[in-house]
Amino acid sequence: MTQIFGATKAVNDISFTMDEGRCAALLGPNGAGKTTTIRMLAGLLAPTSGRIHFRGLPQVADRRQLIGYLPQVPAFYGWMTGREFLIHAGRLCGLSGKEAASRSMEWLERVGIAEAGKRRIAGYSGGMKQRLGLAQALIHRPKLLILDEPVSALDPIGRREVMGLLRDLKQETTILFSTHVLHDAEELCDDVLIMKAGHIAISGQIQDIRYQYRKPVLFLDTEGDPESRQWLNQWLKQPAQGIQSYEVLPSGSGVKLIVDEINIARQTVLEQLLAANVQVTRLEVGYTTLEDLFMEAVSGA
Amino acid sequence: MSKWLVLYKKEWLEIIRSYKLIWVPLVFILLGAMQPVTTYFLPEILANAGNLPNGTVIKIPTPHASDVLAQTLQQFSTLGLLVVALSFMGTLSGERISGMASMILVKPVSYLSFISSKWAAMLSLALLSFTAGYGAAWYYTVSLFQSVNSQWVIRSFIIFAFWLVFVGTLTIWFSSLLRSAAAAAFSALAVAAVFALTASLLPNLFQWSPGNLPQLALAQLTGQSSKEIWPSLGITALLTAGLVIGAAWILRRRPASDAV
Repeated sequence: MTQIFGATKAVNDISFTMDEGRCAALLGPNGAGKTTTIRMLAGLLAPTSGRIHFRGLPQVADRRQLIGYLPQVPAFYGWMTGREFLIHAGRLCGLSGKEAASRSMEWLERVGIAEAGKRRIAGYSGGMKQRLGLAQALIHRPKLLILDEPVSALDPIGRREVMGLLRDLKQETTILFSTHVLHDAEELCDDVLIMKAGHIAISGQIQDIRYQYRKPVLFLDTEGDPESRQWLNQWLKQPAQGIQSYEVLPSGSGVKLIVDEINIARQTVLEQLLAANVQVTRLEVGYTTLEDLFMEAVSGA
Repeated sequence: MSKWLVLYKKEWLEIIRSYKLIWVPLVFILLGAMQPVTTYFLPEILANAGNLPNGTVIKIPTPHASDVLAQTLQQFSTLGLLVVALSFMGTLSGERISGMASMILVKPVSYLSFISSKWAAMLSLALLSFTAGYGAAWYYTVSLFQSVNSQWVIRSFIIFAFWLVFVGTLTIWFSSLLRSAAAAAFSALAVAAVFALTASLLPNLFQWSPGNLPQLALAQLTGQSSKEIWPSLGITALLTAGLVIGAAWILRRRPASDAV
C-alpha cells in the first residue's frame, strides 16, 4: 500500500501479512506512518495505490463488517450514556435490538464500567472512555481488532488494566495495535512490524527477530580514574579487531562494544586491558536487546 | 433500512437532548405570531410611544390579511433561514473534526444512509418548526384580521417549505465540504442569497431556479395561477437530492478530517 498526502509519502509501498489468531504490534516512532497504515486498514483512507485483502474468509462486500477499530483518541456522543452508545454501535453493525442490548451489558461488565453504563459519556474519565472504546470495537465480534495507540494516553494503572484486557482478548480474535513503546509490544505480541519513515524496517515473529538480529555485546566499565579514561579514549580511536561499533556509556568511564565474534573479541580486549593495567570494574558479555534493535532500526541511516 | 432507522433515531435523540426540539420551533412560532400581532397593534404602540404631541391622529390603513401572511413569509426567509442554517451547520463538520465520524464510518454503515439520516432529521425539524410557525401566523392573522383562502395558504406553505429544506440541504452539503461550521452556515446563506438575487434580478433567465420559490410562495397568497410552480419545485427537489448524494460522495472520499 502507498499513501501520498500532497508531496509527502506518508506510507511508501509497504506490504505485510497477518495470520489469524495472532497479535501483531505496529511499532515505530511518531510520524513513521503507523496511524496512516491503520486508517487505511480500517477503511478510513483509501490507499493511493495497493489493496487490502482478507484471505480464506468468505468474500464480503464490506470489509468493515470484519473489523473492530479504536482510534487514538476515541470520540463519543457526550449526550449519550455508555450503554446507549454501545447499543447504537451494535445496531449499526447489524445486531438486532435485543442482541445489541444484551451484548452491551456483557461488554460493559467485561471492560469494568458496568456501574457507569447509565451515566452520560460526557462525564467519563479518559480511562473509562478508552474502555468504552474497546467495548464498541468488539461488540460485533470482529475477526480483526485494530487499535491505534490504545494505551498511550492512559496513566500507569489504566495502562495495566487495558493491557490485561488485551491479553484476554488475544485468545478470541486477531489483534493489530500500534505503539511507540517497545515494552508494550514485547509484553503482548507474537509478531512485530517496525516502521520507519513510511517503510517497514523489520517484521516477523518477535522471537525470531530477537534471535536473528541479536549481536554479541561486551560491556566494559572502569573505575573512571584519569589514567583509565585516557587509555579508553586512546584505545577507542583505534579499536581492536572484530569490534563493529561502540557506544560510550553515559558515565563516560565505560563503553559498550558490539562485536562480530565474541571469543576473539573477549581475548583481545582482555589482553590489551592487562597490558595497559586498566582499573576494570566490570567486563560483561551479553547480547543486544530488542530495544537496541528498535533504536537502530528507527534511528539508523 | 433498519440501520438507517437506527441512525435517524440517534439524530432525533440528539435533537431532543440538545433542546433543538424546543428552541427551533419556538423561534419559528415567535416569528410567525409576532408579525400579525405587531401589525394589528401598531397604531396603539405608536400612540403609546409618548413622544407624539397631544391630539395627533394616527391613521394606518388596516392591511389585508394576505399581506400580513406575506410579511410573515418574508420574516421566515431571513430569520427563519438563519435559524435553520445555524442549527444544522455543525451536523457533519463537527462529527468529522471530533473523530465521531470515523468511529461510526468504520462500522458497516453506508455513507449515503449516514448523510441521509442527518438530512431527514433536518427535514423533520425544519418542517415541524415551519408548520408550527406558519400555523401560528395563520391563526393570529385570521383572528385579528380576516380569513384567508386556505388553499392559497397551503400552497404558499408547500412552496416555501421546499425553499427552507433546500437551504437546510445546502447547509449540510457545505458542512460536509468545509471544516468550520460557521463557514458552512455562512456559505449556505450566501448561496441562498445569490439564488434569490439572481431570480429576482433576471426573472426570465432564472424562472425555474430554486431562488424563485420565495417569490412564488408570496404570489400564491394573492391567488395567482399555480401553473408555473411545478418546474421550480421539480428542479429544487432534484438539486436537493443531488446535494445529499454529493455530500455522501465527498464523505466517501474523505471519511474523517480529524488529525491523521
